[in-house]
Amino acid sequence: MTQGGLDIPTLVILLKGAGVSLGLACAAIACATVLAVLLTALAFSRLLPVRLFYRLYIYVIRGTPLLVLAMLIFYALPAFDLRTGPYLAAVVVLAIYVAALFAEVFRGGVLAIPRPQWESAKSLGLPPGAMLRKVIGPLVLRYTLPSYVNVCVMAVKATSVLSIISVWELTLASREIIERTLAVFTILGTAGAFYFVMCLGIDRAGRRLEQRLALRGFGGEHA
Amino acid sequence: MRRLVCRFLAAAAIPVLLLAAATAGAEDKSRLDTVLERGKLIVVTGSAAPPFAFTDDKGELVGFDIDIVRLLATALFKDPTKVEFVVVTAEGRWPAIESGRGDMGVGGTTVYPDRALRVAFTRPFVDSGQSILVTKKSGIKSIAELNQEKWTVANLVNPQMADRAKRYFPKTKVLTFDTPSAQFLAVKSGRAQALQIDTPTAEYFAAQNKNEFVVLPTLLGASQNNAIFLKPGDFKWWLWLDTAVAELRTGSWYPQYTEVYNKWFGKNPPPQKFYLPQR
Amino acid sequence: MRWTWVTTYGSTYLDALGWTLLAALLASAGSMFWGCVLFLIRLMGGRAAALGVGGYVQVFRNTPVLLPIYVIYFGFPLVGLPWPALACGALALVLQNGAYVSEILRGSFRAIDRVQFDAAKSVGLSPWQTFRKITLPQVLVHSIPSLGNQVVALIKDTSLLSAIAVTELTMQAKLLTERTGAAYEAFMVVAALYLVLVFATEALFRTAHRAVRWR
Repeated sequence: MTQGGLDIPTLVILLKGAGVSLGLACAAIACATVLAVLLTALAFSRLLPVRLFYRLYIYVIRGTPLLVLAMLIFYALPAFDLRTGPYLAAVVVLAIYVAALFAEVFRGGVLAIPRPQWESAKSLGLPPGAMLRKVIGPLVLRYTLPSYVNVCVMAVKATSVLSIISVWELTLASREIIERTLAVFTILGTAGAFYFVMCLGIDRAGRRLEQRLALRGFGGEHA
Repeated sequence: MRRLVCRFLAAAAIPVLLLAAATAGAEDKSRLDTVLERGKLIVVTGSAAPPFAFTDDKGELVGFDIDIVRLLATALFKDPTKVEFVVVTAEGRWPAIESGRGDMGVGGTTVYPDRALRVAFTRPFVDSGQSILVTKKSGIKSIAELNQEKWTVANLVNPQMADRAKRYFPKTKVLTFDTPSAQFLAVKSGRAQALQIDTPTAEYFAAQNKNEFVVLPTLLGASQNNAIFLKPGDFKWWLWLDTAVAELRTGSWYPQYTEVYNKWFGKNPPPQKFYLPQR
Repeated sequence: MRWTWVTTYGSTYLDALGWTLLAALLASAGSMFWGCVLFLIRLMGGRAAALGVGGYVQVFRNTPVLLPIYVIYFGFPLVGLPWPALACGALALVLQNGAYVSEILRGSFRAIDRVQFDAAKSVGLSPWQTFRKITLPQVLVHSIPSLGNQVVALIKDTSLLSAIAVTELTMQAKLLTERTGAAYEAFMVVAALYLVLVFATEALFRTAHRAVRWR
């Protein structure tokens, strides 16, 4: 049994894999944020069917394992596979999944805005677009930043699930290597270290961003 | 707020509808024309089935099937690099072809009648068979000896393996994995004492460490055919692929076929035509 | 969607469902236990122990659960412990989710008003009595909703055990897709089954929370 070690070529492959994972997560987070803003808007619609659709979306996406969701979209929905590579499909799957998580975070943020703020915002007479951008947006951002960062970390971890459907990223790269060399602990340990660094990095960056925003006094008195 | 959303949705709907309309008519063209227009072949493959298709130390996709595909690309575009490989697991092969994600598929795929109900196969481009690889430590010398409760065999996800296991060694415990290299890892790490896989793959794994592994001499069933699979219904595309394979095995491209065959199997392929002397 | 699918393959799904439930139960029970252990160590074990647990939690919060699953499944036989797949998967899930459970308990603990501890001391309760009568009940009650979420997450994580050859629901869907090509039906049924499980679990924890709160 070969106990291959951690030589430079292997390390390079793992680094590439980590880069792919991070890239997938970032693309998914970007799309998911946009989608989540839309979903949150649906959540506060005046029409009951729209609100019900929102609840259904959240329930289905959060109640199904990501792996099953991914396999369903990869294997069973041909619409996606017209010339789209596996990475595009992977980003789509992740975005749909993460958007549900973001939407709930945003919704909680909107609900946390105290009544007085709403009233004063409305009394200013701003059009809805400006009200969103200048009043609600910053407040929601301030309230939800920790949870948002949390979901970003979850997105990075979720990329490893995609390895099971042969999307090449850090976990699949590790699996390929250990299937060749049997160096289970070293390789998976290194991969784990890469994930750790990426996730912890996002966490810390989020914390620093939080502190910077708090200094500007964005509704800090409501914290 | 609501008006913003409505306007956005309306704006988004138009390109989606246009796209749907555009692609709706796309099915009437043959894949062959699409491929030629595109200038690139998109091939679905496994990546963990040596020597057919697997990744080497540098992470590159290599193998007998990969090189055959490159020969086809040369025939289409005069350039073996005009190929894009879509890597899938064993169960992902069929949806990837059925949904149109790949033009064709390879990767040690054996022809079975029930598979042919869902995908189209060209004529075979290499012989195969199903063998059992065992660890020397286990001391298993025959399939009859494998058929005991204390042994575990590692299978692939496909139902044919499950059926063969039930037929030839029903008492053995079965573990199911989605790639051959995962099966091999299971055997190497002691989770299973045997694995069931295509004969060339079993021989490749055994060659990696002759002291520890050996391939049982008997085939499970008969000699089998590995072939290219594609979405059924597209006669023009199937015809070209089948003609190309025919030429590889028995016609004008036999020298190129021999070169690839020697590279991966270390011996000459079966003769072009039985009535011609081997040169 | 061909509805005859459900009748033809219903029994295979039930089989797989059994495995999913078994894995989820084992992992849940184990995680609760291990999470409590970690929490207690952190609470009562002194500075070094608290740092150790803190580090452990950070490691498992920032790595995907698939990695411990692979490490244990492929690595244990190499060091002489060829445990069956279900045990390996359950152990990995317990190690991972135990970290989350201990954080949940810690959060609930911090939510208890300090005043109660001062009151307990002034009344003359011993540390053990304080723990048993004041800390523990409140921590448990406060944690029930979050623990419920954790169990739901565990149920979904059992789908990852399909990567190590456990014949649970997701693996069954894969096998059926291979056998019949009907990927849509195979995975839709599995998704529906998971949703049912999730719904039942959430309902269970909601009732438990309500029941305990009114005591």
